[in-house]
Amino acid sequence: MRSGNRVGRWVRVAALVLLALVVLFPVYYTVVGSVMGPGDIASAPPSLFPHRLTFDNYRGVLHAIPLQRQYLNSILVALAITVSQLVCAVLSAYAFAFLAVPLKRTFFALFLLTLMVPWEAIIIPNFLFMADHQLRNTYLALILPFLAGGFGTFLLRQSFRTFPVELRDAATLDGAGHGRFLWQILLPLSRPALASVAIFVFLSAWNQFFWPLLVTDSPKRQTLQIGLSSLNDAEQANPGLILAGVSMALIPTALLVAFGQRFLVRGLTAGAVR
Amino acid sequence: MKLRRTWTLTAVTAALALTAGCGGSKGSDSAGSTSAPGADALKDPVTVSFWHAMKGANADALNALVAKFNSAHQGKITVKATFQGSYDDTITKYKAAVSAKQTPALVQIYDVGSGFMADSGQAIPAQSFADVDKLDLSDLQPAIKGYYSRGDKLQSMPFNSSVPVLYINKTAFTKAGLDPAKPPTTLDEIRADAEKIKASGAAKFGFGAAIYGWFFEQLTAEAGKTYCNNDNGRTTRADAVTFDDPEQVKVLTWWKGMVDDGLATNTGRKTDDAQAAFKSGTVAMHLESTGALGGYVKAAAGKFEVATAPFPKVESSDTGGPVIGGASLWIGGPGHSAAEQRGAWEFAKFLIQPENSAFWHTQTGYFPVSKAALDEDVDKKWVADKPQFQTAIDQLAATPSGVPTQGCLLGSLPQVRALVENAIESVLTSNKDPKAALDDAASQAKALIEKYNASVK
Amino acid sequence: MRLSRPGLARERTLGLALLLPSLVVFGMFLFWPLVRTFQLSTTGQDLFGRANRSVGLANFRSVLHDPEFGRVLGVTAGYVLLTVLPSILLALVLALLLQHPLAGLRILRSAFAMPFAYSVAAASVVFAALFNPAIGIANYLVTSLGFAPVNWLTSPGTALLTIAITTVWMSLGYNMLVLLAGIGGVDEQLYEAARLDGAGTVRIAWSITVPLITPTLFFLIVVDTITALQSFGQIHLLTRGGPTGHTTTLVYWIYHTAFADGATDYGTGSAQAIVLLAVVVAVTAIQFGVLERKVFYR
Repeated sequence: MRSGNRVGRWVRVAALVLLALVVLFPVYYTVVGSVMGPGDIASAPPSLFPHRLTFDNYRGVLHAIPLQRQYLNSILVALAITVSQLVCAVLSAYAFAFLAVPLKRTFFALFLLTLMVPWEAIIIPNFLFMADHQLRNTYLALILPFLAGGFGTFLLRQSFRTFPVELRDAATLDGAGHGRFLWQILLPLSRPALASVAIFVFLSAWNQFFWPLLVTDSPKRQTLQIGLSSLNDAEQANPGLILAGVSMALIPTALLVAFGQRFLVRGLTAGAVR
Repeated sequence: MKLRRTWTLTAVTAALALTAGCGGSKGSDSAGSTSAPGADALKDPVTVSFWHAMKGANADALNALVAKFNSAHQGKITVKATFQGSYDDTITKYKAAVSAKQTPALVQIYDVGSGFMADSGQAIPAQSFADVDKLDLSDLQPAIKGYYSRGDKLQSMPFNSSVPVLYINKTAFTKAGLDPAKPPTTLDEIRADAEKIKASGAAKFGFGAAIYGWFFEQLTAEAGKTYCNNDNGRTTRADAVTFDDPEQVKVLTWWKGMVDDGLATNTGRKTDDAQAAFKSGTVAMHLESTGALGGYVKAAAGKFEVATAPFPKVESSDTGGPVIGGASLWIGGPGHSAAEQRGAWEFAKFLIQPENSAFWHTQTGYFPVSKAALDEDVDKKWVADKPQFQTAIDQLAATPSGVPTQGCLLGSLPQVRALVENAIESVLTSNKDPKAALDDAASQAKALIEKYNASVK
Repeated sequence: MRLSRPGLARERTLGLALLLPSLVVFGMFLFWPLVRTFQLSTTGQDLFGRANRSVGLANFRSVLHDPEFGRVLGVTAGYVLLTVLPSILLALVLALLLQHPLAGLRILRSAFAMPFAYSVAAASVVFAALFNPAIGIANYLVTSLGFAPVNWLTSPGTALLTIAITTVWMSLGYNMLVLLAGIGGVDEQLYEAARLDGAGTVRIAWSITVPLITPTLFFLIVVDTITALQSFGQIHLLTRGGPTGHTTTLVYWIYHTAFADGATDYGTGSAQAIVLLAVVVAVTAIQFGVLERKVFYR
């Protein structure tokens, strides 16, 4: 596809480069700032380039917050939620796509409804539930409410519905029951969709802030996001330290965005494109 | 077929309803006993769970005291101290523990939580124990004792108390031609000195303080006025704040004038930011607690000399004084055996012994709650070493006892403090009229207090 | 799959069984709490936050008559307007610029998607540093242009704007990726035809691409609005709802009433939550009612 005349092309490139600079500057600042000492980064005027590379900030973060523990907490919680939501989504999407479920439309509407209820509007009763059952400050509190989600079901149902009928019929003729069909044929061929759901759910769980803030108190039980918040509160005088914390927290998601982009796009655009 | 369908539907709904039903909140506590057990309650060995908010050097000193107590009461009482986080975290956890019926036998709650604790029905007043033991509490500093009393009954055992002081950059003062031995005593005098400092360039700003509601409480008390009605909540529960005195309005007007005229800097609500401004020499006069003294002396070493002066009055004719701050220890009633309650009391009594109080003071810088502690050798030496602390001692001794200096006992004080901070902030940054700002804060506070009072049975 | 009668019954039971796990979770943590919120909104709390009395509609009255209520709604509306449209427009420009092959396109696309790797906490914390009045880059730029430094997060005039800028940056990646997917679905032949007719790049973009991606745009407006109405992390980390409530949206108001400063006012908080629910439903309904008409479905 020709992109028009030469001038137009250069204008386009220039605009993109300029925008890239603006959009990427915070990323640059995150990484570069994390290796700047307090003198460098807190200087007025601020320097955009470190005069002396230092990794003290990274060490400092590990002293200020139990970063390794919080990393572990975030990973554990996000993984648990992802696995659980995948399983629930596969099961319910299968039911919606292939089985004759009584009142199917009603139930499907219920699932869709879960996507529309804002979590913040029901956060108080959920908080009280955890408090009343002594579940505050536990992994269960972080995981339980999110064991299932409507998004995965929605996306997988769409994907299953486009599954070639011929393959299904062939499986039936071979005498395969639902279990074998699901496990040996459907799932292996639905990997892209499963990956999309997994990545999207993982990222959402990883990103959570309001809920972990409410249900966890001790730093050892908190997730990475809350750890970043405490770091920010405690180390206002040393932005380099805070940025080092952010850099470390970014690693998993940056990798996901870099390498999982096509699955990400698929998950993100579910429902967006007709 | 239809029947089958209805059955499955009912089953599903029922299952949902059953599982969903497990979310109700528990009924209220049965009122626990609030009468204090005597020494005979200690028959078998007992463990006393103690929640506190001390960290760093303060935690070390506390743990040393705990160890000393435990070894003296070996086999009978063991105190188990656990750090719960900040004062805010500790009271939040405590509230959750009450709902879960898993409270500690002894808990350290900050000054502004005193009203809440007194209303909570969870604690046995220290006075009850003192009466049972016929213990004379007159060794406690009167101002401190008064803060934690309702009527004349001591509610909790004072432990770590601080007083607010005016910090002065001695070096900058001298450079500006001011005499550090004659510090400003009123808001107007602070302004006059700040003008001299600005003119001489001895420091960038003459004055700086965090937008901290505590300072407004202090200045109200210095002016000899009440912060809330019903005698600061000391005779009966307060149902409104009293923010309409002209001197209180003057505080805000004065503060705004200082910032607008470049005599004071506005570092916002974070006390860390205001402390940094003093430590760096940016401001020459500063309001903070005695608890910050150690940190200031350390940070100023080699740069400038730190001096302290009594917390300022609003007008020179004022006859008030400062209110003490810090935290106290509350002994748990409901849910604890008589032995636990007694054990907690024994530990509290131990802490106010002059030698232990002196140890706590010299290790942390908190004001000793025992008068006799000041006469202990280790204490006298410490004060001689840190003359800046003498200001605090003199100031406390000079504090007239009475309702204004007792401070306001209010269950929702933390939230009211935030409202005051909003008022100050809006005056300083949005040009809101000081009187209007205080009036708004007062009416918002009234709504909060009414709600609070409605929730206390 | 044709099945016999007994098989059908089994299938129906199996179907329900497969739905059950999800339904149980939804029941316990989504639907029941929704009911609970309505219940709680009519209660008063004791000192420890336990509901101990019914107050009828008093909580709703106090919410609606609260002098802060108008401001909270205004801040919420302002926040939505400052984030949704600018973010989508900027992402649209980016997507249009990136739609055709270009040297290093993949790298550029990954670059612009980078904000997506930042969690709300991470982005807020970085932007807090960028907008730090003393040492932040933002004021460095401002002062080098000759203006006085701005108190971005502590001045009532700029605090909401600063949070909005943070949010726009955060959502650029997502919006751009979605728009790219939408644009990718446009038939190339339409461009060819337009080119042959002499249309320039901008004209093509405006008259062909944009109308054809209105379903995507609509989707983004709805989703981004709902996200904006639920934003919490940025506000908590950047301003805690201040200065003096100038960045307190509905969600933050709920947090402030029910949880901040040792509060346990779950009754009023629940009433506010219902207001939030009503706003979300109303706004979404309006969007579907008004905007969807403008969407061009092929």
